[in-house]
Amino acid sequence: MIKRYLSAMALALGLFVVTVPAFAQEGGEGLPSAGTNVNDRASLQRGAKLFFNYCVGCHSLKYVRYSRVASDLGLSEDEVMSNLNFTGAKFGEPVISHMPADSAKTWFGKEPPDLSLEARAKGVDFIFNYLNSFYLDPSRPVGWNNTVFPNASMPNPLWELQGLQVAVHSEATPGHDSVVEKLELSQPGRMTPEEFKGATRDLATFLEYTAEPAVLERQSVGVWVVLFLALLTFLLYLVKHEYWKDVHENH
Amino acid sequence: MANLFDWVNERAPNLAPTFRKHMTEYYAPKNFNLWYYFGSLAILVLVNQIVTGIFLTMNYKTSALEAFNSVEYIMRDVEWGWLIRYMHSTGASLFFVVVFLHMFRGIMYGSFKRPRELVWILGMLIFLVLMAEAFMGYVLPWGNMSFWGAKVIISLFGTIPYIGPGLVEWIMGDFLPADATLNRFFALHVIALPLVLLLLVVLHLAALHEVGSNNPDGVDVKHGPKGNRWDASKPLDAIPFHPYYTVKDLVGVGFFLLIAAFIIFFAPTFGGWFLEHDNFTPANNLVTPTHIKPSWYFTPFYAILRMIPSFFGTAIWGVIGMFGSILMLALLPWLDRGEVRSVRFRGMGYRIALAVLVISFLSLGAVGAGVTAELIPEWFPGADATTLENAFGRIMTLAYFGFFIFIWVYTHFGLEKTKPVPERVTMHD
Amino acid sequence: MANEVVDHGRRRFLTVTTAVVGGVGVVAAVVPFIKSWEPSARAKAAGAPVTVDISAIDAGQKVTFAWRSLPVFVVNRTKDQLAQLKGLEPRLLDPQSSNTEQQPKYATNETRSIKPEWLVVIGLCTHLGCVPDFVPDIKPEPFDANWKGGFYCPCHKSRYDLSGRVFSGVPAPKNLPVPPYHFVDDTHIQIGVDPKEAG
Repeated sequence: MIKRYLSAMALALGLFVVTVPAFAQEGGEGLPSAGTNVNDRASLQRGAKLFFNYCVGCHSLKYVRYSRVASDLGLSEDEVMSNLNFTGAKFGEPVISHMPADSAKTWFGKEPPDLSLEARAKGVDFIFNYLNSFYLDPSRPVGWNNTVFPNASMPNPLWELQGLQVAVHSEATPGHDSVVEKLELSQPGRMTPEEFKGATRDLATFLEYTAEPAVLERQSVGVWVVLFLALLTFLLYLVKHEYWKDVHENH
Repeated sequence: MANLFDWVNERAPNLAPTFRKHMTEYYAPKNFNLWYYFGSLAILVLVNQIVTGIFLTMNYKTSALEAFNSVEYIMRDVEWGWLIRYMHSTGASLFFVVVFLHMFRGIMYGSFKRPRELVWILGMLIFLVLMAEAFMGYVLPWGNMSFWGAKVIISLFGTIPYIGPGLVEWIMGDFLPADATLNRFFALHVIALPLVLLLLVVLHLAALHEVGSNNPDGVDVKHGPKGNRWDASKPLDAIPFHPYYTVKDLVGVGFFLLIAAFIIFFAPTFGGWFLEHDNFTPANNLVTPTHIKPSWYFTPFYAILRMIPSFFGTAIWGVIGMFGSILMLALLPWLDRGEVRSVRFRGMGYRIALAVLVISFLSLGAVGAGVTAELIPEWFPGADATTLENAFGRIMTLAYFGFFIFIWVYTHFGLEKTKPVPERVTMHD
Repeated sequence: MANEVVDHGRRRFLTVTTAVVGGVGVVAAVVPFIKSWEPSARAKAAGAPVTVDISAIDAGQKVTFAWRSLPVFVVNRTKDQLAQLKGLEPRLLDPQSSNTEQQPKYATNETRSIKPEWLVVIGLCTHLGCVPDFVPDIKPEPFDANWKGGFYCPCHKSRYDLSGRVFSGVPAPKNLPVPPYHFVDDTHIQIGVDPKEAG
């Protein structure tokens, strides 16, 4: 009996361990995986640095406090306030971009969205691939287009790092318009393509964290909760088995 | 302690016997199997929803302007707020998992049959109220799916002839889902419906304990031989709830909590099934989410709604079909006139029909959730995906209703060839 | 009967062990719910130390600042006012500030302050939490014919001197509390943080 119970438990656990990660990743169907690891603190720190250098000029993280970033990413108050906080906010305050909403509308046609929850709404894979898919397109108002999010209103914020990409179009055939086949680097940036992939992965990791800061605590607490419940369930089974001897004898 | 007990006993002499009758010394058949865990689990989840719900209201703001922010406040700024919220959101989905399995158990073993029709009807009422409760709770975070879900579901009432359009405005208290809608849904979700739900649960249990539990063999233990090792006047094949089913149900509770903990701590959104991606964007009355679909537990019923086309200039047929699919379940005791309760001893026709019911229900769920819309173009490239999906969905809708029609014909005209039901219950371990 | 086969010792041991483990689980599950009542990150951020400019406070004036939503009185006491403090001691409940919970170590002195002229106290009466009035002038008052300046609580007539020390015979039991604070420079103090040397 105990053997049967243990094997059933092992099977259930095994099934879960296999299936849960499939459901744990957030969104981004059909796109190459970003390969982020939200528990990689160094990656989070690099991502935060990129965000505060290249993104916060236009995008807020209105649900994220500087103090929370500091404690979750293992940074001191001084490090955050002097290296990351360029908005002049207090340590306990949220990350609010200084860009006036009116001028943003005139420049880009719409207000840059808040990015706190972007990774949960669109998925980390979307963010990662989006950042890698900008190309020059003179037909667009800001001169940029994107294959993952066509006609995006944002110019490539990281072009200095990535360099300039241009699109290689397929030939138009009757009934089919010409489509973008692939993107090519026309002018290299400060990073190699591999380095740039790493940098955008870090940025996606940081946004995965900002979408749910509790993710770090959640997983580490979860391990103990699950282990405890497995023990408790096993004990409960032993108790049941013991009492049910009465019933089996009586039959 | 003993004095206190005596003091209470003197003033309320019926309290202890009532407790014994319904809890500790409730005699239940001894051959319950896995399927019999889901009743007690449903109570566990109900308690979880009430406790975590009370704590969520402590920080939730009932206003279209603040609702979304307050949910993120709970997720980030309130200590352990994320855990309380995930317990509530995961609990909501698991509530339906448990209730669907509990209902299927009832169908499979004929627990709805005489003399338990009242138990079944009360259960169906619980299911209806639970669906209303879940829908209104889903609206409260005021994300974009909340908003458009509310809009679509409320619009169902607009298909009712004459009064529809006025009714829709009356339910929303505005011309779109708005602050007024959110506030009334909050009131219904946190107090009105839970009170009704609790009352119905008490009645469901009281009605059950009046007639006694059914069992996997469908054998009537109450009218069988008497006398067991605990009580000479009780049925031979019954055992007292405490300690035997207390300890057994607790094993089920342990397993259930283990699964729930996995989801809460390692996959709280469950890949967008328990918490949808589009609901992490605030409500926006100008932009409809691209993948608009109801929560997974509504998808079978939603698929029936979608698969029934409108004709005679009205879309009410789909709505009738959707509510009809639930009504059919409630009518089961009168549709299924077979004498034998449990599937174990019923005719081959019934077994096949039951399998068809399960397959059609799951398929309709897949259609409603947009799974088929995604898979069909992959499996049949080049084919007209919409036509294929509609054909599939309509066949499954017919299969679902077909079950009920078949059962009526099958049992009313004596076509069923049943196996002999044993005198006493069987135990397999 | 079958009863004899039951091993009561084993049954009892298993039941007790499982109940204890289950009890631990229930207690652990209750903790997050209790903790959720603690001040949230937002409340803590709003309650963060505040730096205030005191250069505009003239001698003899009081300005109220908010720290953790509490009113904090900052008073620039004159030489005259300070001279009165010593003579009041016999009429006070705790003239030496012996109750160490009512002020940090660095404010345990006659003026209950870091710099003698600058008084920093939380302006909530220690009786039932009303905000006392600032009555600075040294002149007879309806509630005290021998008034040397101080704070008077309109709710239940508690009186404090200009160091926030409570008079005997009034409802309030303790001196006004001094919050942690330090001088950032000559014209700014930060409320909520102890001086470096005291930390």
